[in-house]
Amino acid sequence: MTSFQSTLGEDGGIAEELAENQRAISIAEFFEKNKHMLGFDSGARGLVTAVKEAVDNALDATEEAGIAPDIYVEIAEADDYYRLIVEDNGPGITKEQIPRVFGKLLYGSRFHAREQSRGQQGIGISAAVLYSQLTSGKPAKITSRTRGSADAQYFELVVDTDDNEPEIRNEQTTSWDRPHGTRIELEMEANMRARAQLHDYIKHTAVVNPHARVELREPGLDEPLKFERGTDTLPDETEEIRPHPHGVELGTLLKMLEATESYSVSGFLQEEFTRVGNKTSTKVCNRFRDRHFGREMAWGTPAPHDEADIEDALIDAVANKSAAATDWFAARVEETVGDRERISHHELVEIVGNLADAAEAEFDETFGETVRENAVDAAWAECTRTDLLTTTLYERIDNATSTRKDDATVQGVAERLADKFAATDDPRHRATRDELVAYVDRSADRIEEATEATFGDTARENVVEACWAIMQTVPDDLPKVKTVADDRDTASELLEAMRATDILAPPTDCLSPITADLVEAGLRKEFDADFYAAATRDAEVHGGDPFIVEAGIAYGGELESDGSANVMRFANRVPLVYQRGACAITDVVKDIGWRNYGLDQPGGRGLPSGPAVVMVHVASTNVPFTSESKDAVANVPTIEDEIELAIREAARELKSYLNRRRSLEKRRRKQEVLGRILPEMADKLAAVTGQERPNIDGALGRIMNNVLVERTVEEGAVTLAVRNHSERKEELDVTDIVDQEPTAVSDGASVVDLDDEWFVQWSPSVSAGETAQLTYEVSDGDGATFDVDVEGIEGEKLTVDT
Amino acid sequence: MSTQDERARRQLIDLAAAFYDQFDQGEVPEMTLPTRTKSNIEYDEDSGVWVYGDRTSTRSANSVRGARKLLKATYTIDFLARQLEEGRSSTLRELYYLSESWDSDEAAFADQDESNQLIEDLEIVSDVTREDFHMRPEESGATLMGPLELREQTRRGEREIHCQKDVGEGGYQIPNNPDTIDFLDHDIEFILCVETGGMRDRLVENGFDTDYNALIVHLKGQPARATRRITKRLHDELDVPVVVFTDGDPWSYRIYGSVAYGSIKSAHLSEYLATPEADFVGIQPEDIVEYDLPTDPLADSDVNALESELDDPRFTTDYWKEQIELQLDIGKKAEQQALASRGLDFVTDEYLPERLSEMGVL
Repeated sequence: MTSFQSTLGEDGGIAEELAENQRAISIAEFFEKNKHMLGFDSGARGLVTAVKEAVDNALDATEEAGIAPDIYVEIAEADDYYRLIVEDNGPGITKEQIPRVFGKLLYGSRFHAREQSRGQQGIGISAAVLYSQLTSGKPAKITSRTRGSADAQYFELVVDTDDNEPEIRNEQTTSWDRPHGTRIELEMEANMRARAQLHDYIKHTAVVNPHARVELREPGLDEPLKFERGTDTLPDETEEIRPHPHGVELGTLLKMLEATESYSVSGFLQEEFTRVGNKTSTKVCNRFRDRHFGREMAWGTPAPHDEADIEDALIDAVANKSAAATDWFAARVEETVGDRERISHHELVEIVGNLADAAEAEFDETFGETVRENAVDAAWAECTRTDLLTTTLYERIDNATSTRKDDATVQGVAERLADKFAATDDPRHRATRDELVAYVDRSADRIEEATEATFGDTARENVVEACWAIMQTVPDDLPKVKTVADDRDTASELLEAMRATDILAPPTDCLSPITADLVEAGLRKEFDADFYAAATRDAEVHGGDPFIVEAGIAYGGELESDGSANVMRFANRVPLVYQRGACAITDVVKDIGWRNYGLDQPGGRGLPSGPAVVMVHVASTNVPFTSESKDAVANVPTIEDEIELAIREAARELKSYLNRRRSLEKRRRKQEVLGRILPEMADKLAAVTGQERPNIDGALGRIMNNVLVERTVEEGAVTLAVRNHSERKEELDVTDIVDQEPTAVSDGASVVDLDDEWFVQWSPSVSAGETAQLTYEVSDGDGATFDVDVEGIEGEKLTVDT
Repeated sequence: MSTQDERARRQLIDLAAAFYDQFDQGEVPEMTLPTRTKSNIEYDEDSGVWVYGDRTSTRSANSVRGARKLLKATYTIDFLARQLEEGRSSTLRELYYLSESWDSDEAAFADQDESNQLIEDLEIVSDVTREDFHMRPEESGATLMGPLELREQTRRGEREIHCQKDVGEGGYQIPNNPDTIDFLDHDIEFILCVETGGMRDRLVENGFDTDYNALIVHLKGQPARATRRITKRLHDELDVPVVVFTDGDPWSYRIYGSVAYGSIKSAHLSEYLATPEADFVGIQPEDIVEYDLPTDPLADSDVNALESELDDPRFTTDYWKEQIELQLDIGKKAEQQALASRGLDFVTDEYLPERLSEMGVL
C-alpha cells in the first residue's frame, strides 16, 4: 500500500490503471480458487465430500417423494482417476432441470425454504461436478428417469466456469432398468486415504436413516458394504414455514418489506411471518408506535382546589359561540377530564372532539376545526401547569425509589423532570423510552450536582419504569410498508418492536427428528452393544429457527474398549465426519462430567473413554454451521444447552444401567467365590462330623438374598418351593416341564400339553422372606422327568435346586 | 487319648457339628466371639483380672471374608482333631505352613497372624486352651534364675532341677506348657520379672538373685503365655510377691499390663495367665526425673501409645494416670540400662533396693 500511497500525488492515473484489472468473477471461478470452503481441499477429502453431496441429495429426493431410499454408491479406479457412481430410486429429475441442477452452482429449491432438509445452498452436487471436471477434465454423466416415463434421459455436462451455466456435451435418451431414479457418474483425481471417513460417513448415514438401504462398493472392500433397512417408516414429511419474527435480521426484513404485497405493517406481519395473528400483530404495532412516535405522558388531572381552571380557560378560548353552548361545552369538558385520574394529549383531543360533536347536536351550532384546536390548546395548557406536572412526577418518583430518599431530592428530581417535558418542542409531551431515560438521567445528574444527594442507576431505572408505565401508546397511524421499507431507521424500529414482543415459538412440523425409538433402533442396527439409550428433546428456537436435539448412547458389547468413546455428530440427518474439534457437539460432550454417569474420563474432562458411542443429532430449519462445508455445528448457546440436556437424559439411563451392571457383577463375583468356599466347607464339615454332606443351597440363597427354587418329589406329589430371601417382593414366572400328565395342580397355574410334555406355569408373587409352594401330582414320581424354567428375575439372583 | 485330649477333641467336633447343623437348616453358618478390643475388656471383681465384656462380633459366611474365615476354621478344626487323635503336637508356625498343603486354596492362611488369631478364636469358642489342642508357640527362650527346685515332665522322663545350682549362667528355660512342672522347694523372697536380656544378665552377674533370694524371670519383651503362666503359678502356689522391671516407655507399661492384668488378645485366658498382684518397679517416668537418667525424646508413636493407654481400662488407676501424664509432660523415655550411667552396680546396690523397700517388698 505504501508504494501506491507514495506515488499517488505524482500519478493520478493509478486508479484507472487498477480498474483495468478489476472485473466480476463468476461464482464458479470463485469456487475454483476456494474449493476448501466447500470441502474439496484434497483428493482424499474431495471424494468423501462428493459422495456426501450425492448421497444427501439422493436421500432428500427419495424422502420428498415418499419413497424408501435405496442408494447405491460405487467407487472404482479408472486409469489415473477414481470413478464415483451414486444411484438412487428417487422420483427422477425432468429433462429441463437436469443441466441446471448439476451444472449450475447455487441452483436449488431449498435456499429460500424454511424447512429441515439436508442440502440448503444448492452448491453441493454442482460443486462435485465442478471438482471432477477441474481435476479429470471429464464431464459428469447423469442418467435420470422419472416415474412412468418409458426412457431415461442421459446427459454429459460440465459447468462453464465463466458464467456459471451448464454446458451440455452430450444429450440422449437411453434405457435404464430402474423404473425411476437418478444416477450420477463422476471421474476425479482422488485417493482413498480418507477411507475411514468414507466408511464412517456411510455407516453413520445408515444409523440416522434407519429407513434407508445403502450399499457401498470401493476398491478396498472384498465384499460390498450393505446396510439394510431397520424400519419401513419414512420420516414425517416436513412442512415449510414462514420466518419467525424473532429470527430475521434487518437486511432480511428490508428485503421482505420490499417484496411484500401488503400495504399496512399489520398486514405485512400477519402475512409474512409465522405465529403472528391479529393479536400479536397489534402488540408488535403498539411497540412499533412507542418506538416510532414515542409515548405521551398522561398527567394527573386538576383537582377542584388546584389553580387550574379548565372551564374558565375554555370559555375564554371558545369565541363566537352562544354563551349557553360555550358554558355547556366548557363545563362538560372540565367534568369529563376531572373524572379521569390522568390525561394525555390524545385523550384530551378525543374528549374535546366528542363533546364538540355533542354541543353541535345540542345547540345546533358549528364547532369547527379551529375552535376545537383552540379548545384543546387551552385545556391542555391548564392540564399541564407546572404544579400538576411536578405533582404527578413526584408521586411516581416517590413510589419508585426507596424510602430513604429525602423529600427534597424527590421533589427536586420531579421539578427538573417536569421542566424537561415542558421544554420539549412537542407540546403533546411525547417521548420515546430512550428520550425518557435521557430526561431522567439529566434531572438526576443536576440534583446530584446541586445537592449532596445520590440518585443511583437502580433508582433511575425504577423512575424510568414508573414513568413509562403511565405513559400511553399514541393512536397515530403507522407509516405504510413502503415508507418503512425506504427508511432503515424506521425498519430498525419495527425489528426492535418484533423482537421485544413475546411470540409463540415457531411450529415444529417443519422439523423431522429421528425420534428416540429410531435413534435407538439405528444404534442397535449398526453397533453390537450391551446397552442403548436415546432421548429426543422438545423443540426450541434459536434466532427464529426451531430446532430439536436428539442424543443416543450405546455401551459395551463389541464396541471398541480402548481409547475414547466414539462421538457421532449429525445435522439434519447428515453425518459430520470432519472438523470434530471445532464442533459444538464435541465441545458439549467434552464438558460433561462423564464420571458421574459411570464412564471413565481421564482427568475428569474431555471425551469419555471406554466402549461407548455417543451420537447427537441436531435438526433445524437452519443449522448454524461454522463454515460452508458444513462440517461442524457452531457454538450457539441455546443449541449447546439442548445438546447437553439431550446427552444427559440418555446418560442418566446409562448410569443406572452401569450401576446395576456393577452391582450384579459384584454379586456374581461374590456368588462365584462363595460357590467355591461353602461347598469345600460343607465337605470338610461332613468329614469331621462323619455325616453326609449338608445341603448348602438354603444358606447360599439366604446369603445372596436370592430367590431359591427347590423341588421335592414324594411319591407322586411334586412341590416346587419358591423361597424369596431378597429384601423385596419378587414376581416370577415358574414353568415346570414334566413328561407325565400333571393333576391336582395348585392354584393359579396354566397347563399346556405339547406332545407328551406338559408345561405347568405359575406366576407367583413372593414377598420378601416368604415362600410360595407350587404343587401338583403325577402318577409315577420316580419315573417322571422334570425341567424347571424360571423367568422374571436376573440369573444372578436365582438359585435353582431341582 | 487322655481324657483331657478327648474333651478337647469333642469340643472341636461339636463346633463343626454346629456349623453343619446351620447349613442343614438352611441357615447361614456363623461363629460368635467376644469383640477383642480394649473397649470391650472389663475388670472382673472376683478374679481381679481383666476379661472380655459383653460385646460380641460375628464371623458369618454372609460375606466372602467371613466365609473364608469359617472355611479356614473348619480345616483347622479337622487338623486339630486329627492331631489330638494321633497324640501329636505342632507349633503355630507349622500350622501356618501346613495350611499351604490343604486341598482348598481358599483355606490357606495369608500370614501367621491370621492362623494365630484363628487358634485364639477356637480357644474362646471351644473353651479349650491352645496347649490342650497341642499347639505350641515357638520356644520363646524365656528363663528363670533363682532359689527354686522343681520337677519337669520331659520326653525323657521326669527331671528334678534347681534353678541356681543345676543351671548354667543362662538359667532354667521355661517349657511351653508350664503346667507339666511341679514346684518342690524354694527360698524365694520375691519374683523379679525383667524385660530386657541385658538387665537380666547384669542382675545375675551382680548376684542379685543370691543376695536377695530373688527369682529372676526374663520376660524377653512381651512375655509368652508360658512365662506369664509360670509367673502366675509361682505367685499363687508359693505365695511370693511379683514385681515387674521394664524400660520406661509406653510399650514396656503394656508388658507390665499383660503380666498383671492380662492382654487384650487373650483376655479369655486372663484368669489363667494374669497375676493381678504383680507390682511395677520401674523405670517410672518419676525415676527419669529423680535420677536424671539419659533419655530419648518421645516419638509420635510413643505419644499416641501413651494417649491410648490413658483410655485403656487397665491403666485407669491414679498411679498410672499420674505417671503417664508426667511422661507426656517431660516428653522423654529411658531404657533400663540407662541406670548404668550411675555405674554398673547402681541398679543392684541402690535403685532396686530403694524401690523395693519403698514398695514394701524388701
